[in-house]
Amino acid sequence: MTNLNADLAAPRPRSGRRVLPRWSPKLAIGVGIIVVIGLWGLAGPVLVGDPDAIRDIGLTAPSGSHLLGTTQTGQDVLAQLAYATRGSLSIGVLVGIMATLLSALFGIVGSYVGGLVDEAFSLLSNLMLVIPGLPLVIVISAFVPASARGSWTIAVVLAITGWAGSARVLRAQTLSLRNRDYIQAARVAGEKRWRVIGVELLPNLLPLLASQFVFTVIGAILSETGLSFLGLGAANSATLGTMLNYAQNGFALQRGAWWWFVPPGLIIALFGCGLALVNFSIDEIINPRLRDIPRRERGNRRREPRPAERLDDGAVLDDGAVLDNGAVLTVRHLSVTYRTENPVHAVRDVSLVLRRGEILGLVGESGCGKTTLAYAINRLHRPPAEVTSGSITLHDRDGDDLDVLAFDRDELRAFRWDRLSMVFQGAMNALNPVLTIRAQLDDVLTTHRPAMSRGERHERCAEALRLVGVDPRRLKAYPHELSGGMRQRVMIAMALLLEPQVVLLDEPTTALDVVVQRGILRELLRLRTALGFAVLFITHDLPLMLEVSDRIAVMRDGRIVEEATAEQIAAEPRHPYTRHLLDSFPSLLGERGAFIRAGEDERGEAARPPAAAPDGGIAAEEVR
Amino acid sequence: MRYYLRKLAFYAAALWGALTLNFFIPRMMPGNPVDILLAKLQQRGANVGPSARRAYELLLGGNTDESLIHQYFAYLGNMLHGDFGVSVSHYPTPVATVITASLPWTVALVGIATLLAVLVGTGLGMVAGWRRGTWLDALVPATTVLAAVPYFWLALILVAVFATKLGWFPLLGGYDVALSPGWNGAFLSSALRYGVLPALTIVISSAGGWLLGMRNMMVSTLAEDHVLTARAKGLTDRRIMVWYAARNAVLPSVAGFAISLGFIVAGSIVTEQVFSYPGIGSQLLEAVQNDDYALMQGIFLVITVAVLGANLLVDLLYALVDPRVKTTG
Repeated sequence: MTNLNADLAAPRPRSGRRVLPRWSPKLAIGVGIIVVIGLWGLAGPVLVGDPDAIRDIGLTAPSGSHLLGTTQTGQDVLAQLAYATRGSLSIGVLVGIMATLLSALFGIVGSYVGGLVDEAFSLLSNLMLVIPGLPLVIVISAFVPASARGSWTIAVVLAITGWAGSARVLRAQTLSLRNRDYIQAARVAGEKRWRVIGVELLPNLLPLLASQFVFTVIGAILSETGLSFLGLGAANSATLGTMLNYAQNGFALQRGAWWWFVPPGLIIALFGCGLALVNFSIDEIINPRLRDIPRRERGNRRREPRPAERLDDGAVLDDGAVLDNGAVLTVRHLSVTYRTENPVHAVRDVSLVLRRGEILGLVGESGCGKTTLAYAINRLHRPPAEVTSGSITLHDRDGDDLDVLAFDRDELRAFRWDRLSMVFQGAMNALNPVLTIRAQLDDVLTTHRPAMSRGERHERCAEALRLVGVDPRRLKAYPHELSGGMRQRVMIAMALLLEPQVVLLDEPTTALDVVVQRGILRELLRLRTALGFAVLFITHDLPLMLEVSDRIAVMRDGRIVEEATAEQIAAEPRHPYTRHLLDSFPSLLGERGAFIRAGEDERGEAARPPAAAPDGGIAAEEVR
Repeated sequence: MRYYLRKLAFYAAALWGALTLNFFIPRMMPGNPVDILLAKLQQRGANVGPSARRAYELLLGGNTDESLIHQYFAYLGNMLHGDFGVSVSHYPTPVATVITASLPWTVALVGIATLLAVLVGTGLGMVAGWRRGTWLDALVPATTVLAAVPYFWLALILVAVFATKLGWFPLLGGYDVALSPGWNGAFLSSALRYGVLPALTIVISSAGGWLLGMRNMMVSTLAEDHVLTARAKGLTDRRIMVWYAARNAVLPSVAGFAISLGFIVAGSIVTEQVFSYPGIGSQLLEAVQNDDYALMQGIFLVITVAVLGANLLVDLLYALVDPRVKTTG
């Protein structure tokens, strides 16, 4: 989903699929509560006396002889509580098992088999879901004569009315798993259907099944309690609900006998809470995004600019390039580290100068730190990534030097997009799916140009779209109504909306097909000439950079290993890695369609890309 | 348009399913409810003619010679006319009248309480997800206790504290019986005062679910690329939180409304019982206790129709909040 963050994500030790939740205080408390209440339900009845023994000391408060007091008829509340807990737990687990089996049948098998079976199963579970459960249970129970209302009857009725929600969740997950590669592979390999379900599918569904089981158990206990409280529960059963029913009918509330009606509810609430806490941990297996608790971003931390980092005239950078006054962005000795267990130095001591109006290509293979660098320049990196040293300076149009790393929260906000904007890799996901193109262009203006009137903003948005060759009528469209190329054009229009001085392009065309790529790049180059912004172009596509950029910086393992003009890189690459990169692209023209040929000293001519493909600009893109 | 038609068709099917369930449940169960019913009526001195007997037999089944199919269509016809028969416990008031009198109470109570719970729950969930890892977020697991509390037990506790002990709110009922119901200030404010504790019960027990769902979706959504774009755009935190994160994160909660509503309806039936609230839930239980099968079935149908209607409404709203469904789904 987020290919954009792929470069950013800190490497995590590779582990197989997780089946057991990670140990955490939440899980410990949850398991603790469940175990204690479970044991109480199992062993409690043995320890306490007869729950039904009637004494002539009605409704006494807790005391030494009756730890939780007595009921109206002098029965020991603690003894009743033990038996009732056992009753409630057993019915909850019973219903949980039955309902989970039902939901697995309808959810997993249905969606795996597919076709008409799936349609029918899915319709059935959706119907069961919208028909209110408890009223149905009440009606069914009411028609069953009280004498025939055993625990099993109640359990079956609760299971029948309680499986649908889980089935829907399981179906969605199965459908998504079904199309994964390893399942497909197993199917293609001719494995038996039940084997694919049992061996390949189920283990992956296990966390979800467990979580749904937990939900049904809570739901069943609550429903049973409600039913029994209403006097519609199983005959002759002792559950927490019947206890509450007796308490209600014995006017426990009116007579202030809290020891009678508080404990049963408390047990249910605690047990439900325990299950929910365990469920938290299961959820974290299902959805890893919930797992990592980030340290808070300290957005308003202000750092005084260190004088040494101030760039004065003509400072000499590492590679000997002399900084002239035309610089718009200077990065000096920047290092970014992911502070994980094994810290990853993603960017190491990088220095870069971007001149006004130029295109600087930042080239490297994936994982070399180029995206991390780009994000750090805009301070978009989030914990655990941290800038450990260096400086970033934007030389503003009106002569001020802005120390990007020293901005406070508001200054940073004002700086972003206004001075420096970005076009991200995944045009598919970079736009908000539920807002119109217009709203997403417009909020840039309302935020950064509050003085503009509504009409002016509209005019500006329309103009920006025209600039990138998109019909302004598309302002009304939602992102999903546009093609991929169109969306990326919209992103570019958005990036240019405030006429920034620097535009960061992070593999802006990687996800698009070649023809569309060409059209968009052509457009960008034209706009760069017209508007004069500088571009930091991040890509792994060295031939492309040779074609479009003025200068190229080659990055490897977080360091800039070579920086030179495009011509120099093409003609005389100095660093072996640059040569390596050049050689790893097959040439379409030369007969030496070289792939990686390490060690050979080849000049770059062969790797020059062919002349630009025939123009396949806007005409080639069609609106979906 | 296709989306709306599909939804309408689905809810029509659901309604038909509920009607059919309603028809078959009494017929599948042991015992003869019609005889019990008629015996009760005769106890009350009602003169039950053959036409009344047939009406009950259509509703509940019995040993008639009519074919099941024939009974079924006659039953559907009666239901469509709103003819649910005569209530036994309120004899000779028709079931429809009993329902009409009690329905507004429940609709108002459950409607307002649900709205409040959704607003409070999603609002807090949004902030908790946004401020992940702070003290606010750390409180989230605690809300699961509230979600696991049985509604009626919470109601009992609230009554014990706020009505019995502190005397802030009335113990039970829907309004001060000294007043006559009507659209006047005295009655409405009394109804409001009586409604506070039942509504509070529903809000407290259901808001937790909304909070948790919203919080988890916020966390997922915040990792999405468009949120990163929004940050790069230099938008205010507030705008990013509401329009980029929450606006997307709320969609699954809306889509899952049906499940939540089921729980709320179930909870409110029992809650009404605790407060002797003059709503449809109390009425249902009274019907059950009096073997008033006709009233019971009528109420089941009305609750079902109301729930289906609410879900349909939410589904239609969903098309407004998620522009994608109209083209893809």
